[in-house]
Amino acid sequence: MTILAHDWFRRPLPSNIVLAESSWLYSSYAFVHCRSTRPVAVRVGRSSGVYDGFFDLGPDGRVEIGDYCTLVDVIVATNGAVKIADYCFLAHDVTLAGHAFAAPSAPAAPDADEAHRSEIVLEDDVWVGMGAILLAGAHIGAGSIVGAGAVVDFDVPPDVIVAGNPARILRSVARS
Amino acid sequence: MIIADVTGEWDYTNLPPNVIVGTNCFLERRESFRRYRSTRDVGLALGSRVRVYACTEFSVEPDGVIEVGDDCILAGAIFMCAERIQLGRGVVVSYHVTIADSDFHPLERAARRRDAIANAPGADKTQRPAYESKPVVIEDDVWIGIGAVVLKGTRIGRGARIGAGAVVTRDVPAGATVVGNPARLAEGSLQ
Repeated sequence: MTILAHDWFRRPLPSNIVLAESSWLYSSYAFVHCRSTRPVAVRVGRSSGVYDGFFDLGPDGRVEIGDYCTLVDVIVATNGAVKIADYCFLAHDVTLAGHAFAAPSAPAAPDADEAHRSEIVLEDDVWVGMGAILLAGAHIGAGSIVGAGAVVDFDVPPDVIVAGNPARILRSVARS
Repeated sequence: MIIADVTGEWDYTNLPPNVIVGTNCFLERRESFRRYRSTRDVGLALGSRVRVYACTEFSVEPDGVIEVGDDCILAGAIFMCAERIQLGRGVVVSYHVTIADSDFHPLERAARRRDAIANAPGADKTQRPAYESKPVVIEDDVWIGIGAVVLKGTRIGRGARIGAGAVVTRDVPAGATVVGNPARLAEGSLQ
């Protein structure tokens, strides 16, 4: 049983939460709506920081966060898989959700299309701007940048900037 | 921080007397009512089995009234209410959604200048100029997606779906799906 030394919420982490060394999680409050029964519901990699936000997971929900990632007030709401690789930045009020109408008590999705459990994947070095929304099927290629407020539910190639609602690929990110 | 205040275990009978809470409601966070200032006979009425989760805020001006029907789920609804916001039954509102029935400031520049001065810390807020409000009506079984914004004077018809991040500035027909900013009918919707 793990109780974070700095935790105002003073509740133990659920047993299926794994925090690697040198990582930082603000509070066990992040899991107040976590109903995942997976052996590992959330894994936070080495030297990654999770500052505010929630993991509102259904019974099959699972989230892998790699090393050196920063998540600032991000909501993850899914009954499927979310994979965030290494060196990713996710800004304030970003939401990663299995469907557009996600809520903690996850009611049935309105139709089969929205109920499908596609993954959300962020490859290495992705940067997601404030308020962006990544839905099931979003797969952001390595090095790409998602603009503030963008709504993405499709494959985005590596090293591009994608922005807007609905999102469009605007241009390549200059490589140094 | 008192833990009961963020887990729905606080005493709902401590709410202002003009807040009506139906049977078997869950109100996760006391803070949701921090900006509730309605002085109407009933300023907020929640039906039965309404679930109000952490990120929801009832920001209600003195003349505002919010009505929420039975079995609604509010994951993260910011209500900004000057006049009237009405939700039917079974409405689902996802995270980071804003529903506003007013601009809260005048459009005309000189009036806005007066508003800025009247809104200063310690200033006389009774000197604020008038601004426009129009009720928002959201009918039964509407689903509002993550980050959507619903603006004044709109009526969202029964069973409609508002896509993630959509900005609703006009009425939405029953059963329709709208997406984008400004919100437009999604491809294939209502066909």
